[in-house]
Amino acid sequence: MGTPIERIRNFSIIAHIDHGKSTLADRLLEYTHSVDERKLKAQTLDSMDIERERGITIKSVAVRMNYKARDGHDYVLNLIDTPGHVDFAYEVSRSLAACEGALLLVDAAQGVEAQTLANAYKAIDQNLEIIPVINKIDLPSADIPGVIRQIDDILGLDGSSAVHASAKAGIGTEDVLEAVVARIPAPTGDRDKPLRCLIFDAVYNSYRGVIIYIRVVEGRVKPGAKIQLMASGTKFEVIELGVLSPETTPTSLLEAGEVGYLICNIKSLDVAKIGDTVTDVINPATEPLPGYEEVQPVVFCGMYPAVANDYTELRDALEKLQINDASFQYHADSSDALGFGYRLGFLGLLHMEIVQERLEREFNLTLVTTVPNVAYHIIMTNGADMMIENASKMPPTGEIDVIEEPYIEADIICPTEFLSAVIDLCKKKRGIHVRVDYIDSRRCMAIYQMPLAEIVLDFYDKLKSLSRGYGSLEYRIIGYRPGDLVKLDIMLNGDRVDALSCIVHRERASWVGKQLASRLQKLIPRQQFEVAIQAAIGGKIIVRETVRAMRKNVTAKCYGGDITRKRKLLEKQKEGKKRMKQVGSVEVPQEAFMALLKVNEDGD
Amino acid sequence: MDPIGVYIHVPYCRVACPYCDFVKKATRGDAPDAFVGALCREIAAFDGPDVAASVFFGGGTPSLLTPAGFAAIMSVLRQRFRMDNPEVSVEVNPDDVSPDRLDAWVEAGVARVNLGVQSFDDRVLKYFGRCHDAADARRACEAVASRFENWGIDLIFGGRPHDAWGETLAECLRFAPPHVSTYGLTFEEGTPFWKRRAEAIDDDIGLELYREGDAALVAYDHYEVSNFALPGFECRHNLIYWRNAEYAGFGPGAYSYLDGVRARNAPDIDGYLRAPGAKSESLRLSDREIKVETLIQHFRTRRGLPRADYVARFGATPEAEFAAPLAALAARGLIEEEGDSLRPTRTGYELNNEIGLAIV
Repeated sequence: MGTPIERIRNFSIIAHIDHGKSTLADRLLEYTHSVDERKLKAQTLDSMDIERERGITIKSVAVRMNYKARDGHDYVLNLIDTPGHVDFAYEVSRSLAACEGALLLVDAAQGVEAQTLANAYKAIDQNLEIIPVINKIDLPSADIPGVIRQIDDILGLDGSSAVHASAKAGIGTEDVLEAVVARIPAPTGDRDKPLRCLIFDAVYNSYRGVIIYIRVVEGRVKPGAKIQLMASGTKFEVIELGVLSPETTPTSLLEAGEVGYLICNIKSLDVAKIGDTVTDVINPATEPLPGYEEVQPVVFCGMYPAVANDYTELRDALEKLQINDASFQYHADSSDALGFGYRLGFLGLLHMEIVQERLEREFNLTLVTTVPNVAYHIIMTNGADMMIENASKMPPTGEIDVIEEPYIEADIICPTEFLSAVIDLCKKKRGIHVRVDYIDSRRCMAIYQMPLAEIVLDFYDKLKSLSRGYGSLEYRIIGYRPGDLVKLDIMLNGDRVDALSCIVHRERASWVGKQLASRLQKLIPRQQFEVAIQAAIGGKIIVRETVRAMRKNVTAKCYGGDITRKRKLLEKQKEGKKRMKQVGSVEVPQEAFMALLKVNEDGD
Repeated sequence: MDPIGVYIHVPYCRVACPYCDFVKKATRGDAPDAFVGALCREIAAFDGPDVAASVFFGGGTPSLLTPAGFAAIMSVLRQRFRMDNPEVSVEVNPDDVSPDRLDAWVEAGVARVNLGVQSFDDRVLKYFGRCHDAADARRACEAVASRFENWGIDLIFGGRPHDAWGETLAECLRFAPPHVSTYGLTFEEGTPFWKRRAEAIDDDIGLELYREGDAALVAYDHYEVSNFALPGFECRHNLIYWRNAEYAGFGPGAYSYLDGVRARNAPDIDGYLRAPGAKSESLRLSDREIKVETLIQHFRTRRGLPRADYVARFGATPEAEFAAPLAALAARGLIEEEGDSLRPTRTGYELNNEIGLAIV
């Protein structure tokens, strides 16, 4: 027997980064004895090393808790965690779609932030019951009345109904659980209708294959059932199903309203797409659940093995990683400068960093990564059009009619004292002013539309530094718009380095070219011969820098013990040189391929 | 088997020079008798080859050995090793040159004296923290030249002011030493100079000074990266290092290379007095490591590497294993063919580490 539907509560916790989401989750698990305390590593739900190190949630997971409420009944509470980053907005929306309610966690000292807003709107869009929770109330700098006002005014929720808590100190944990039981509606869903389950997450386990996390919306499912994934059209047999406590715990049945997992011998994550609907093969539903989307990458970069021999290892690593993370795309690519490698597409910058880090960490690869860029839509003079993910693949200027680039709308929340700096930054990044909303006497929200390309480079770091860490950013993509864009090329000793080509706004092209050349001049070590660095726009050279030739590199004394010591030293240097790429006759350090990022950092 | 080289490390100095990273200890008087005793015990107990071609007293300051101490060490060496006309060299500090020490060295069979002049400019000597001045150096040069046919002057360039180098070279030539060493100043970790490494001169100036030395010493054979000699006056002991041949080192911190093992005596001086010869490092080199070191060392010398020597030693030509780096080095103009030898070019001297980097 499944749990009676009226005793189930499905909810998420949504919050801005660092507002204490994982800590609150830990407290709830402890309080309901859902996790053995010995096993409760700090922040149980963040299972990847990278997540724990960075204190952010990348992959969402779910956990089932048993809770005896003050009303005397036993409830099953399913906490569905959501990824906390803008890159994973689609995954967040699917996790929320699996819930009836959400805890909106707000830091009592920091107040409402951009991510709080964005996630709250997503929850409101899904018609979820939202329970505001004011966290960290024990901080000396806590401003509870202020936060309540913000919840009222900005979010349009009832701030006076907020639960007051300190997850760190364990204050208010029971109040939170009681609010979940009392205020979040029980799921509805006919258990006798044909099966429909929402896939809100999936993970790859090397022993068991893909584990699909589902919310049963209608019907019921048992082991042995033949199921179909409606969007991908593939069919499987359910080998095992169960609940997450938080380890996978097999049961004999999952019914509408419940949250659990399915294992059905799926070998790769790209089959089990988040947002897809699971139905029964024999008694299928006619319509899939709404909201399924194919997620499209928005940020692209090249990844090349630092040592050419590692190409096959990179390929194998990407194949394996894709089984774990179907949300990045890759295809083989080659660069004159960097040799054979891959072009990868990501949901955002953080996603890119994570994939790169996992490749280096879990597969022990040394990679050369090119500067991230967006995809451009190019309309040719002959009427044809194409998408370009790589500046070096851009057709000749004469054949191009229009270049369009993706635009985003950004919500930037910051203390009012930093508003003018934020506006300056947005202007510099070709931002179009939409409006400024005042959150309270202290803070405001600037809404700007700007090219995604400007955000991709370093916008967030800049925003953080000019607002002393207080600025927060959330954005959504709003479509393609034409831009006055040109291609900037870099040449080393006369050879164009394709991996250093980039597409920039015409007005900034000459400045970027100069900065890039001077940056490269500092990064490229002296070599036996002089190295000329040139930047060119549309074939016209705009600047030249020179790396002077190395003229003296000799060990003065080499006697006795120096001999082996020197060999070891040379071996170490050689190891360092391996990370360099030979471009024509020039040895170029990896950092050079990221030089464009530094240009923007130092630039303004 | 070829005769080996013998190195004796005397770890005492009146004043420790702030740029020096050799094992040493400041002492007020001469090298103590206890040290001489320990050294003699280590030599007597040496378990290895019996034939030596050279003895090199380095330091520290070997000129701090008393005449009696020096004689005692030579006597033990003669008992332990068969030496047929050995090249016996001593490193000497200008302020230790006295008539009785000169007599003692001649008496003991010293064939070469290397004078640690470093500079003939008082400002530079002060910068180096040397305990002698230019006048001491001149007197010492005259005294040594009058007693030894085979002697040399050691100089360092790159001190401050660096433009005193030309005059130092000119002064050096006045004494017509048959051997001159010119070392670029280095800032080694663990020395007082390390903290001052930002003072190191720019490579381009370093190169100018290096070339100035090369030009001034045109009458000499620039037979190794930092060494110049008149014909027949090359330091045979050092040539053993540059051929990567075998040597035994005695004294604290001294290295040996015997039978494919590079080993080091423990550098602690007090420990040495208690247990002379105890090793702190011992590294058996792989076949490839030996070949790499052999190539690197030979490319420090003008003569370079005669292929026949390499074949005799390893049973194959250097190209058998190192064809690609050797070809690349030739293409870069760092090494060249000379008869059946491979040798460094002039650029190959100046960018000598690039040769090593390509080979390892």
